[in-house]
Amino acid sequence: MLLTINGRPHDVHVEPFESLASTLRERLQMLGTKVGCDRGECGTCTVLLDDVPVYSCLVLTRSCEGRRIRTIEGVATANELHPVQRAFVTHDAVQCGYCTPGQVMSAIALLEQHALPSDDEIRRSMSGNLCRCGCYPKIHAAVKSVAAAAVEANDDR
Amino acid sequence: MTAEAPRESDGHRRFVTTVVEVEGREETKVVELPVSEPEPWGEDARLTVVGRPIPRVDAAEKVTGRARYTADIVRPRMLHAAIVRATIPAGTISEIDVTGAMAAPGVVDAITLEDIPRIRIDGNTLFDRTVKYVGQPVAAVCAETWQAALAAAEIVRVTIERAAHVATFADAIAADAPLVRRSGNVSRSSPSIMERGNVERGLSEADVIVRGAYRTPPALHTAMEPHGAVAEWEGVGDRLTLWESTQGVFRVRDEVATGLGLSRSRVRVIKEHMGGGFGAKNSAGAHTFIAAILARRTGRAVRCVVDRYGEQVDTGHRPESRIHLTLGARRDGTLTAIVADSQVTMGVGGWEASPTAIMHELYGCENVKTTDVYAWVHSQAMDSFRAPGHVEGAFALERGMDTLARALSIDPLRLRLSNVPGRDQEKGRPYSSDRLRECLVEGARRFGWPGWEAPAGLQDSEMRAGDAVGDGMVREVVAGGGIVEAGGGRRLRGIGMAAQVWGAGGGPPAYATIKLNSDGTADVLSGTQDLGTGTRTVLAQIAAESLGSRFEDVRVVLGDTERTPYAGNSWGSMTIASVGPAVRMAGEEVRRRLCEAAAEMLECRPGDLSARGSVISTRDGTRHLTFADVTGKLGNVMIMGHGSRGPNRRDVGLVTAGAQFAEVEVDAETGQVRVIRIVAVHDAGRIINPLLAQSQLEGGIIQGLGLALFEERIIDRATGVPLNPGMHDYKVPTSKDVPMIDATCLPVTDPQANHIGARGLAEPPIIPTAPAIANAVANATGAAVDELPLTPRRVLHAIRSTYA
Ligand code: FES
Ligand code: FES
Repeated sequence: MLLTINGRPHDVHVEPFESLASTLRERLQMLGTKVGCDRGECGTCTVLLDDVPVYSCLVLTRSCEGRRIRTIEGVATANELHPVQRAFVTHDAVQCGYCTPGQVMSAIALLEQHALPSDDEIRRSMSGNLCRCGCYPKIHAAVKSVAAAAVEANDDR
Repeated sequence: MTAEAPRESDGHRRFVTTVVEVEGREETKVVELPVSEPEPWGEDARLTVVGRPIPRVDAAEKVTGRARYTADIVRPRMLHAAIVRATIPAGTISEIDVTGAMAAPGVVDAITLEDIPRIRIDGNTLFDRTVKYVGQPVAAVCAETWQAALAAAEIVRVTIERAAHVATFADAIAADAPLVRRSGNVSRSSPSIMERGNVERGLSEADVIVRGAYRTPPALHTAMEPHGAVAEWEGVGDRLTLWESTQGVFRVRDEVATGLGLSRSRVRVIKEHMGGGFGAKNSAGAHTFIAAILARRTGRAVRCVVDRYGEQVDTGHRPESRIHLTLGARRDGTLTAIVADSQVTMGVGGWEASPTAIMHELYGCENVKTTDVYAWVHSQAMDSFRAPGHVEGAFALERGMDTLARALSIDPLRLRLSNVPGRDQEKGRPYSSDRLRECLVEGARRFGWPGWEAPAGLQDSEMRAGDAVGDGMVREVVAGGGIVEAGGGRRLRGIGMAAQVWGAGGGPPAYATIKLNSDGTADVLSGTQDLGTGTRTVLAQIAAESLGSRFEDVRVVLGDTERTPYAGNSWGSMTIASVGPAVRMAGEEVRRRLCEAAAEMLECRPGDLSARGSVISTRDGTRHLTFADVTGKLGNVMIMGHGSRGPNRRDVGLVTAGAQFAEVEVDAETGQVRVIRIVAVHDAGRIINPLLAQSQLEGGIIQGLGLALFEERIIDRATGVPLNPGMHDYKVPTSKDVPMIDATCLPVTDPQANHIGARGLAEPPIIPTAPAIANAVANATGAAVDELPLTPRRVLHAIRSTYA
């Protein structure tokens, strides 16, 4: 079947019961998407499916034909981080980093839908991504800063 | 055995015997004296890289998903292993049938007890025929894919003759209880008694005596990355390389070498990135040995990553504690006696992390007696979990202190201030840094504790001076009449606080090597590890400072037993205080040599040169050479420096201190607790990187909040089966649970601790959070909330039983 991942087509043969997380990691060696539980509890495996954040460990790859899959590998360009990634770095919204790719994907999805989310919206939208290191305050600050910068940039125009 | 602080003048003595402290335990060791330790960075040292809030060096790798964790290690022709686990808590295995599993698609090998050497983990034998807990590994399979291995593990048929089990402390110590260990159901050292002074006298001198019974839950580390290892043998199978998610590469190496009968240098353990440890990843586990043994048998690399169920039932936990506490005090609040009895439910193994050790340390008191009893039960082994013992004991002690404050009608903060110990009471020596009082006062100011003027803007509009413990809020709950909708309605606000003390002084042995590359950059090599704590970044800062180089010119290589010099486990909050001085010493040596080489090129004396920002300049500032200029001219002549950690002084006590303040809102109808804000002020000596330090504090506080409100591993007493082995039912905090946190460290240094002036920071912040929150809930409701976690059910129950 044909998968579109980060804008590129991938021709893969997958088992009927195969999860998108395992296709990405095991078949395509796209190891940026992490697996913390493999059963929809933690959010480390978050990717965007048609711009909506999903737990890729719960999505069957067979259901993804013709849909837009975005993973952490497609977020930064070769030499530039995405603004969300940059904000995560500068705010130290990263400790062990294991939850980070998932957090970044959720934050991107949120900001694409709401340019200026409220505090509550941020907390709610990000609540499906656990972080045992407790980076939540810094993640929150990072997401807010990206939103604020985007609005400022808009105002300047 | 003592070792006085050895100085460099001790020329002919290169090795001394000294006492090294790890997580509250002391060990006597022979350590090497550094040839020349640098003078401590004092208060007024002009440091340009150390102390700066630099983003972590590996953040870009982590936000792009390029950072490689154990589960991301891919080796040619690698196989995947899955573990077969016992499903009942006690019994004897009569048969394990792997034929079905071996016939399943993709399966390559399977192992049981017969196929492996005798390997001991936590005092139990790997794949033992005697089953002691649900989740105990009994066999393992490996296959071409992880899915195939998991599926095969499911169809291994294990027949266990069931035996009676014990699930609770009370069951374990009951007469005729089935034995968990042949030696009995309590640990050999139980009861473990520690006494100072005379508590009978202390109690007789008391004007007020308060008693309480407290309970802390069994808690699971729940790191986002499960335990895992990748094993690969080299050549004819006598050299093993292991990629392991671990807090201690050298310890894993030694344990694996011992278990497999190899000499230590035949085992190489590598740890690059890891997704959290929190104490659960200190040793080689079943997964480590399984990967290594299957790899040897199959001649292929094997990855064994524990699945989430296995992670929650078999990789350690904070044991449940029950503590009876009696406090005696004079009318002015001075403590006269502390008596505590604890019962700790260990599981099948682990070590005795005393929940009452903190009773001897946190507050000044001449008469202290504690008795700890540790019981073995049929559940997974205990393991270190962020400030083991102290978290449990702090809850009891700090709830007790609030009860005492109430009985004495003294403000809880004042009660603590009047009992600050001021010195290491156990050893009768001063502290290297005695700043608990400062933490309490500074925290009170930032929080706006009643009676302490808060800076403008920090004072919450809801908070009034009259809301202190034993006053204000309590009136909103009418005795016998249930809850009345007073003032703010059924939502009750309350405030509470608690304090902390923890070792974290670090110590030897720890080594670092710095080599200067021919382009003028430097590589720091040390066998320590970064758990997500920021070790890589902080060591790079220390190296850059001591080298006089730019931060970005330093690369830190950690965690490889073959390529990096020894450093110990990253536990006991001791990494930076142990490895930091070694790195600095290595850096100073490199800088000295670099200046000597530059002096030759500039035709001046080395003493006339100084280094900063990767540039060497003459004192008068007229001539410069960059590091790259010098190394370029040197060509392949290499400059290297070596550093080691010297022993701690024995005449001062090394502790961290801290205080936290919490404000909560309790829904009196549902029992729901919401934490509104936490203020934390800690003293950990010099802070190398305030940004990362704040992350550590916030992370500890959030884990403490989880312990206060949600976290509890539940085992069904009748069946011995864990009921919440996942992250839905075992709830950890999410972004929605996190309050406003104002966390900071005192801007100080501790030159008596070591020559970089830093102590540890990883564990301290989790210690006072739960008691501060519970004290705030007690303040809001007037109810005694002495069992964690404060679930709505427990809070309602406490309110009802108080006002019934
Ligand atoms: S790995 Fe998918 S939600 Fe945890
Ligand atoms: S950074 Fe460690 S789990 Fe989020």
